[in-house]
Amino acid sequence: MSEPVNIRQLAPGTRIVLEGGATAEIVSNPQDGVWVFARFLTSPADPGRVGTEEMIFAQDIIEIAAP
Amino acid sequence: MRADKAGYRPGLVDLAAGQISREIFVNEEIYREELEKLFARVWLFVGHESQIPKPGDYFVSGMGEESVILCRDRAGKVHVFLNSCRHRGMKVCRYDEGNTPVFTCPYHGWSYGTDGRLVGVPYFREAYHERLDKSQWGLVEVAQMCLYKGTVWACWDPAAPPFLEYLGKFVRYLDLTLDGWDGSDGGAEILGGIQKWRIPCNWKFPAENFCGDSYHNISHRSVDLVGIGPSGSGRRDMQERLMARRLQVSFYERGHQTGVYLLPKEQPTPPAYQHSSVVSEYFAHCEAERRKKRGEWGRLIGSPGEVFPNTALHPRQPRTIAAWHPRGAHQTEVWRWYLVDAAAPPEVKDFLRDYYIRYSGPGGMTEQDDMENWNYAHAASRGTIARRHPYSYEQGMGYETDNYEWQGLRVPGTVMDITEAKSSEHNLRNLYRRWAEFMEADSWDELATWRRNERAAAE
Repeated sequence: MSEPVNIRQLAPGTRIVLEGGATAEIVSNPQDGVWVFARFLTSPADPGRVGTEEMIFAQDIIEIAAP
Repeated sequence: MRADKAGYRPGLVDLAAGQISREIFVNEEIYREELEKLFARVWLFVGHESQIPKPGDYFVSGMGEESVILCRDRAGKVHVFLNSCRHRGMKVCRYDEGNTPVFTCPYHGWSYGTDGRLVGVPYFREAYHERLDKSQWGLVEVAQMCLYKGTVWACWDPAAPPFLEYLGKFVRYLDLTLDGWDGSDGGAEILGGIQKWRIPCNWKFPAENFCGDSYHNISHRSVDLVGIGPSGSGRRDMQERLMARRLQVSFYERGHQTGVYLLPKEQPTPPAYQHSSVVSEYFAHCEAERRKKRGEWGRLIGSPGEVFPNTALHPRQPRTIAAWHPRGAHQTEVWRWYLVDAAAPPEVKDFLRDYYIRYSGPGGMTEQDDMENWNYAHAASRGTIARRHPYSYEQGMGYETDNYEWQGLRVPGTVMDITEAKSSEHNLRNLYRRWAEFMEADSWDELATWRRNERAAAE
């Protein structure tokens, strides 16, 4: 199991991997330690989310994507 | 002792005799009723717009026992929200002030925009199956809010009259605190941070003190002797006392009251702030401008007052607003804001900051005198024997007038001229008159008596 990600350190542009295998890129970070705003890059379970911007819950973030 | 609905005025608040029971200060059942009958229905001061100048700025304030968030949303609109998550009640903001795009509950993660909308719900898709109606679960917003000359006021009761109607003609006295020293409309800003501290007394002790109680000046004798005033003597510049009419002004139907000095016609405002030539000259200039702009009304010099029930005004030296937040029957949390003209020179602001904190707040020498009185008066009124004996509020009963005029200036409100009498408890009685009306009334239909009178006059 991956180490928990300290989402307060996620700067805009950082790419993250989410539960279910989707990936997203950080758009902004309110620094509340609970949410980040991110744009979906891939979404195998729901391709319609690709390109959309959503609030991502910290518990749904698995890891920082490899560069 | 329980005060039933009909028992406040004839029993606990006996204005015909000028006596008030100690129960209204120390009885915990009465206190709980106050929260519902008073603090959930009146207008309360929550802050100043200068504290939240930018979108996303917030300041955590209080209304009664409730924590509230004063904030400016991304579109620039000001809001006042209950600081409590709709899911399980956790505070969504635990900082005193700051800037944020969202208020996020640390308990389960519900997140709200600065406009109060619920924008983030963890597992919204998975656990709620997208069926939670987020539009119904935003932060609880006050029923009414009013921005007035920079100050922010809020009320939980949708049936309460709008703020300016709630004030009535008292607004002219509130303006003595909020307008610029040169008589221009508004223009104040908050100087420094907000002082917050707790005092072991019922909130009505400081409230009545600031209604215009000058009888307790003996308490400040030591400060007067030390000479903390801005001209090097006394605790304030008070030369106007030697030449002005000293008035207590109250508004029976509203519950507001204040002290005020009325200078003789053609009499310039006495010099002040003599410890600094820069400050002294600034105020001399402002006073001259104020007289030009305000005409005869410029003869009035403000003195401590109170917007009913718990917002204290101190218009001049120091210029400050305080909220007496109830924290149980036996404790008050004081929040004190200091005001200064935003356009005042830096030297003036620096001088005033030093003077203000020398005078007021937990370390202020004058306020320390007051706190000691409230603290021990409350403690000595809690006992079984002590509660049997009411306080006396008999000074000046029957000497007030509704049509006070002096040297061409008609003064709004019911006025007690205490120039010769030295003191009166006229304003204090007014506070408790209105307090009792609130405790007895079931709705604003009963409380907005002026509407009935205006209707009757129209017919």
